[in-house]
Amino acid sequence: MELQQFPLVKDQLKKCVRCGRCRTVCPIFAEIRNETVAPRGHVFMVQALRDNKVLPEKQVYDRLSNCLLCETCSINCPSGIDIHELNKAARSFIYKKNPSMVKDLFLDRVWTNPTLMRLGGLALWTFNKSGLQKAARSLGLTKLLPGDLSQAEQIMQDVPRRSARSILPEINPPRGEKKLRVGYFLGCGTDLFSPSVAVATVKVLTSLGCEVIIPRDMKCCGLPHAANGKIDSARDLMIQNLKVFNSLNLDYIVTDCGSCSSALSEESLKLLLVDQGYDEEIEKFCSRLYDLNKFLLEVLEISPRELSSLDMKVTYHDPCHLAKAQGIRREPREILRMIPGLELVEMEDSERCCGGSGTFSMTHYDLSMKVLGKKMDSIARTGANVIATCCPSCTMQLKHGTNLYGYAAPVKHPVELLAESGTQFRQQ
Amino acid sequence: MERNALKSHLKNMLGPDKVLTEDLDLLYYSYDSSFLTKLQMVSPDVVVLPRSTEDVQKVMQFAFEHRIPVTPRGAGTGETGGSAPLSGGIVLDLSAWDEIVEVDAANMQVTVRPGVIHSDLNDHLAAYNMFFPPDPGSSKMCTIGGMVANNASGLRAVKYGCTEQYVLGLEVVLPDGRVITTGGMKSKAIKNVSGLNLTKLFVGSEGVLGVITRIRLRCFPKPKSRGIVMAVFDNLDDAPATVLEVYREGILPSGIEILDSSAIRAVNAFKPHINLPDAEAILLFEVDGNPPSVEWEGTTIVKIAEKRARQVEWSTEPKRMAALWEGRSVTAAAAARVRPDGSRIFAGEDIAVPLSGVAEALRRIRALGEKHGIQVVNYGHIGDGNVHTAPVIDPENPAEVEKVMELVHDIHLLAIELQGTTTGEHGVGAVRREYARLEHGPAVDVMQSIKKALDPYNIMNPGKLF
Repeated sequence: MELQQFPLVKDQLKKCVRCGRCRTVCPIFAEIRNETVAPRGHVFMVQALRDNKVLPEKQVYDRLSNCLLCETCSINCPSGIDIHELNKAARSFIYKKNPSMVKDLFLDRVWTNPTLMRLGGLALWTFNKSGLQKAARSLGLTKLLPGDLSQAEQIMQDVPRRSARSILPEINPPRGEKKLRVGYFLGCGTDLFSPSVAVATVKVLTSLGCEVIIPRDMKCCGLPHAANGKIDSARDLMIQNLKVFNSLNLDYIVTDCGSCSSALSEESLKLLLVDQGYDEEIEKFCSRLYDLNKFLLEVLEISPRELSSLDMKVTYHDPCHLAKAQGIRREPREILRMIPGLELVEMEDSERCCGGSGTFSMTHYDLSMKVLGKKMDSIARTGANVIATCCPSCTMQLKHGTNLYGYAAPVKHPVELLAESGTQFRQQ
Repeated sequence: MERNALKSHLKNMLGPDKVLTEDLDLLYYSYDSSFLTKLQMVSPDVVVLPRSTEDVQKVMQFAFEHRIPVTPRGAGTGETGGSAPLSGGIVLDLSAWDEIVEVDAANMQVTVRPGVIHSDLNDHLAAYNMFFPPDPGSSKMCTIGGMVANNASGLRAVKYGCTEQYVLGLEVVLPDGRVITTGGMKSKAIKNVSGLNLTKLFVGSEGVLGVITRIRLRCFPKPKSRGIVMAVFDNLDDAPATVLEVYREGILPSGIEILDSSAIRAVNAFKPHINLPDAEAILLFEVDGNPPSVEWEGTTIVKIAEKRARQVEWSTEPKRMAALWEGRSVTAAAAARVRPDGSRIFAGEDIAVPLSGVAEALRRIRALGEKHGIQVVNYGHIGDGNVHTAPVIDPENPAEVEKVMELVHDIHLLAIELQGTTTGEHGVGAVRREYARLEHGPAVDVMQSIKKALDPYNIMNPGKLF
């Protein structure tokens, strides 16, 4: 697709008046402090690309990649421009003309294949636990990794041995009477890096009378692909997901990952699959889709009963794709507040990006760590002994932050804390 | 000097972290918020990000010696092309140099570097129960350096005036690299009439006389209370008449804003929940001070407004005040939404006329819009006669661009005809310099003489102001 054919490029690009409101809210601009990383600068560059004032070359892609896609600029834009979507469209346009074999191999062959992903996870676990990672570091071998990966490999320090898919069966029967048949959109990050979240999700849902289906042929939500210039791959993945979930006769579809639910939203899917004839499929899928926190509160209408007291001080980090992209802020907090003994303390700027942003921390390690530093300062000031969040990418990043800064606090999804406190709930 | 040599000289002089030289990076410095820089894209040859007076001094000495144009720049939020280069050279991006050097609460003043953001400064001063009163719409993104260079004001200028009234002293690097301090080298006095007033010369000089590197500002005590009156009028002329009567009653509100029928329609189309009454004009008065005086001023304005207005409301309750003000706060953004395929542009957006001419100005701007076939949205600071016009066009349609440029020219001429000015607060930059002689006559020669005395080679922001 030519750049001018992307729907938002056609409609929104000209609305930017370069007022600069986006500069002051952008977490990357706060670190680099020059116009080349200002969100309006990205919009300007998209326009220059469209008008053939610059060529679609890798150096333009690199400039556009100095962005977390955290959407802070978009929600603050007085002209209502989806700056992050323009950026993604331009990355895709440039990438097509400058493909990378390594990226194609990793994102199209490995990331789209659950078996290979699981094997990759196992390999990483073996690398961590066997002492190979330590040995490789002490011999300086990790420095031979390309680009920022030489440092970013530290983020993957605690890869679990088993993925969620290998722990959980495809069909998880309800405890007691079956009330709902729920499809669980198990995101790649939760599957590989936070399987305990998936286990907790299934435990809580089944205890509330849900039969939980984890389709074995579902794929990634496509967000990492779209963020890395591979919109076509993201499209193929989502077409497959629509087919899989829409064929299952489900009452609801639930995900515990803020990034997945944002990528699966009707607005995102209609933009991704514009003019492809999938509107009906999208509406069928999205009308049943829920973020887990919302699902527990709005559909299952849970309220606490006989929960064990968890004596802990928790602070909640709002994932960008849950809070800014979907406006889900109250629900995770409400769930945390249900747990007796749990004290919820708000951190300053809880919505400020943690710098993880999927693959960003791998490709821009130093910059990502600067953004993380501010987040860790906010967390430390709360004195919390548990950090809660609803995104596996944020979880990995924050765990890395606790290691880097020696801050002893586990990072957990609210559903894990709910499961820990006992799963005796009352439904209204 | 040859471009590559210029780049390597500056890199060697200041270190690579303070200099941008890649062609692609330089492109990002070809724009500000003006429509002009959407139409033409001129990159600098190099961008310098100074972090000290010495950095700026070195750059200016070098530029002076080699006759290289220098364009100082804050956050690039201006609407006149003032911070965009017209012919290459060096851009000095001062926005990251944002140190609050000293809050001198005992003397009610603060000293800052040019890159401090306006709202950040006021957040900082709030702890001392002080504030820097000028209140531009771009408060969350514009720099104090930019405000001083453009003598910016904003919503509260009617009571608190413009930036110039608060600048007590400046450190300026002159085009030849000399560093001077205006307002007294060591002075902390609030009043100072010693010597020629060089501070006022540099305030509003838009970077054509030197680079402002340190700013000493007077602060005011923060008012304890606020209140808002909204008045809805069926007859446009009743709005300025009401403002005048409020003044005559001895009240000086902190802000008086007007939305005309075009702005009311735009706001309602943008955010239907705001649901502004359909009318010829809406006035919003803000009063501030101690609680009893706010109460008296607010209720007195209500009585005056009721003589002419169809509907009047008054509140000191924060949520209701925010709701009353919401229509005004979204107007700038709403303007772009009156036409789905259109965009609001910043051109001809800042005329100021005498209070007695506001109604006529609004009516004639609407008529000019119709004549040129361009949709316009009008709003502004009626208390000081400053009218913001937002033309809404398809900026990618050359025929519309041509028509809007004619409209903008007519709006500027109208301002002068009505005994006003082409710019009340945004500045001249590159877009309004053609009106300098029409507005100022032979005074422009004196301006040019001053410029020549300080900048004999015309290296400081050439092509701007006059």
